[in-house]
Amino acid sequence: MRDRLTGKNTLGRFKSIQSVFFLSMSILLLCAVMIVTAVSLRYTRGSIFENSSMYTQTIISQLNQNIDSYINYMENIADMLACSEDVQEYLFGEAGEECQERLLRQFDTILESRKDIRNVGIISVNGQALINDGTVQVNENLDLTTQEWYTDALENETTASVSSSHVQHVVEGERSWVITLSQGVENTSGSEAGVVFIDLNYSAISELCDQSNIGDTGYVFILDPEGNIVYHPHQQQLYNELQTENTELVMTAESDTVQTGSGSGEKLYCISRSENTGWLVAGCMDVSSLLADSNRAQSIYVLTAILLVAAALLVSSIISRNITLPISRLRDSMAKVQEGDFTAAELPVPSENEIGSLTVSFNVMTRKIQEMMAQMVREQEEKRKLELRALQSQINPHFLYNTLDSIIWMAEGKKNEEVVIMTSSLARLFRQSISNEDEVVPLMREVEYARNYLTIQKMRFKDKLEFRIDVAPDILNVPMIKLVLQPIIENAIYHGLKVKENKGLLLVTGRREGENVVIRIMDDGVGMDKETLSHIFERHKVNYQSNGVGVYNVQKRLQLYYGSRYGIRYESCPGEGTTAIITIPLKLDREGSRSPGESGGSHEEA
Amino acid sequence: MRKHKKRFVIVLLLCLGAAGIAILYGISREKKTRALSLIYIPKVEDGSNDFWTSLISGTRMAAEDYGVEITILAPDNETDVESQNEFLAQAIEEKPDAIIFTPISLTESNDLLDQAVQADIPITFIDSYTEEEVQSITVATDNLEAGKLLGEYARTFLDEGEEIAVVGHVQGASTAVEREEGFREGLGALSDNIVDVVFCDSDYEKAFDLTVELMEKYPDLKMIAGLNEYSFVGAARAVKAMGAEEQIMVLGVDSSQEAVSLMEEGIIRGIVVQKSYKMGYIGVRETVAMLRGETYETNVDSGCELVTPENMYTSDIEKLIFPFDSDESRE
Repeated sequence: MRDRLTGKNTLGRFKSIQSVFFLSMSILLLCAVMIVTAVSLRYTRGSIFENSSMYTQTIISQLNQNIDSYINYMENIADMLACSEDVQEYLFGEAGEECQERLLRQFDTILESRKDIRNVGIISVNGQALINDGTVQVNENLDLTTQEWYTDALENETTASVSSSHVQHVVEGERSWVITLSQGVENTSGSEAGVVFIDLNYSAISELCDQSNIGDTGYVFILDPEGNIVYHPHQQQLYNELQTENTELVMTAESDTVQTGSGSGEKLYCISRSENTGWLVAGCMDVSSLLADSNRAQSIYVLTAILLVAAALLVSSIISRNITLPISRLRDSMAKVQEGDFTAAELPVPSENEIGSLTVSFNVMTRKIQEMMAQMVREQEEKRKLELRALQSQINPHFLYNTLDSIIWMAEGKKNEEVVIMTSSLARLFRQSISNEDEVVPLMREVEYARNYLTIQKMRFKDKLEFRIDVAPDILNVPMIKLVLQPIIENAIYHGLKVKENKGLLLVTGRREGENVVIRIMDDGVGMDKETLSHIFERHKVNYQSNGVGVYNVQKRLQLYYGSRYGIRYESCPGEGTTAIITIPLKLDREGSRSPGESGGSHEEA
Repeated sequence: MRKHKKRFVIVLLLCLGAAGIAILYGISREKKTRALSLIYIPKVEDGSNDFWTSLISGTRMAAEDYGVEITILAPDNETDVESQNEFLAQAIEEKPDAIIFTPISLTESNDLLDQAVQADIPITFIDSYTEEEVQSITVATDNLEAGKLLGEYARTFLDEGEEIAVVGHVQGASTAVEREEGFREGLGALSDNIVDVVFCDSDYEKAFDLTVELMEKYPDLKMIAGLNEYSFVGAARAVKAMGAEEQIMVLGVDSSQEAVSLMEEGIIRGIVVQKSYKMGYIGVRETVAMLRGETYETNVDSGCELVTPENMYTSDIEKLIFPFDSDESRE
């Protein structure tokens, strides 16, 4: 449940176009960068590994050749000695002191020139021997037939034998680890008569091997054909069983390179076999150190990838924002227009793309709507004015007919004075209603109009109507829309007083109450019950006997003009009379009075 | 808008953080461990004695292989307890990371060793040990086993009643005690044939003199067994000097160039060789492992091998008794 909720939330967060765009672009870029990085990592690892192993293989082959030529050189020395006349003479002839001297000098020369030769000597089958400069003795107690280098040389007559790494016991008082080159010497009759031997110490070989730089952790070692170690940088440790070397693997390897182990212990062996000695030169390296370069490359790749992704995210965020900014601006503006606020309607056009044309269309549309609305307002105003004018110009024909009838009656009764009053009142009434084009007049004029009207009506109804007008002088100049008082008075006369049995009184008062002007039209007529009172502002209640301007019309005009807070209010009690209360503002503030309709809209917006 | 800016900042920070971690990781990998310093105090450093020579070179090689510093403080004489104790006191003052020690005496270095333990210097014993168990690591030949190997070999040459004399090196030394015990065990019933046990104090001359005395005292003596290199080489010299090689065969423990030559001459008929190089090497290796908090063995038997005139030229024995030192051969 919880998961589903959070899932929904997460989805909800990515609802906007910007988020979707940003997210999909980021995922796409991330995938692309990752794939490229992975491929290059793999490729780099492979190619670096291949390069290093090829490079090592080359070095090992080169080393093998160098060792071969080194051994060859030594074999040549042995061969040269074996074939020399002095040796023949020493072994088979009656060797004199002179011959021995020459041989020893020769040995001495060889030892002097080659520091890597430990011993050089000749030894005959009958035990006669010359070694080095002649100062060292042969180990008398050594049974030579137990020594491999000796027996091999005797068996192998034509070429020199190369021993593995072994201890040379033949020199008395010295037992050192050497590699022995031995060459049998035949006498003319073909029987073996002696052996020439050269003991090599490890200086030359280890130098050759050390020169072959195959990395910090790499090393080179040499095996004989049986798999015994000839040379190894850790020879002593190996001999003392403290370390092991994977000679088995190297010996049985079918290809030039073998990999063994795994993880950080993974090793690579590069092997080269010598045809001459049968030795096997092998280089061993930690694969991890081989791949150190690739690891460095890896970190660079990963770092680059991270930077690329960061840059990509930045760019995608900028792009997505640039694309969606005008859209959201459009959306915000639309929301305002929806609320009726056109102030933010005119938007800047971002660019010539789809969104640009959308913005242009929106701008055109809102402009047109705005124009249409303005036109509508104007038309409404016009209509209202025309309506008012029409109303003003209309004088109830019944009223006119009745008034004229009354004047005729009065004239026939020779009531000249009254005829004059009535006729002049009627004339003023007419003049007032026709002459003034203004919608708004000072209250004074409205009062005057009402007075004229009441004067006429009083004369008509004689004893039935009495009126009094009491308007405070300080409000006489307050502007007021026309034709408000007269229709209400008319309504009061016809519905309140006319139907009353005895004489009725109509009272018109005007007072200032705070910021408002309150005009009360009171009658002591029949009054209204609640039912009638509640329907008083309905439209159909037009009094056709009056000049067609019903209470509804007056109320509507007042509220249109002053705002909904103002207008007419009725208080009535059946049998006691009715009071109409007209409230208008003291100062006319059209914008303020119109504001309630707008302020509601702007309130919602905020 | 603000939300996106925030998200972007977070992403950027994450990237920077990842890069920072990568860089720090790279730096930390290049940091190297501090070189440990060790002091080794053997019984003696003597070029003629292959046992000590190769043991010490084993410790040096291991120090080189494992990147630690090692100082050797060696007395000139295998019986010189006093100077060995002086070296031990000096070593404790220098406060090395560990002291590797081969005690001459079973008891006389105990106080100093206690001091070392109190100073939080771990002790490794190579070859020999003391009565008190103050050491963290012991690397030694199983001397009982070495003696037994020699005894069993000796038995093949002896008939009932044929007399045997034993030349020990230092009376009371753990190696001497155990080898003698093992030798008797190896001889089995023939151990009753041992007529005398003498101690030469690891001195060729004294061994020589004692052997001459023994030969005079026991004219029918058939065999002399020396419990270390000084003992049996001294004895063999005496036998050779007296021309008694036909009558008396010499056996011994440990090896040297001279011992090998004497074996070639037929005077010495068999030696049990300790793997001294290995012993020294393992002693340092395990000590370093302990100091570095890696797994290590507290008790290592470095092993021994019987060398006879028949097998002395085989590759395996050559590897064991002739030190391979490519540096030396270069000279």
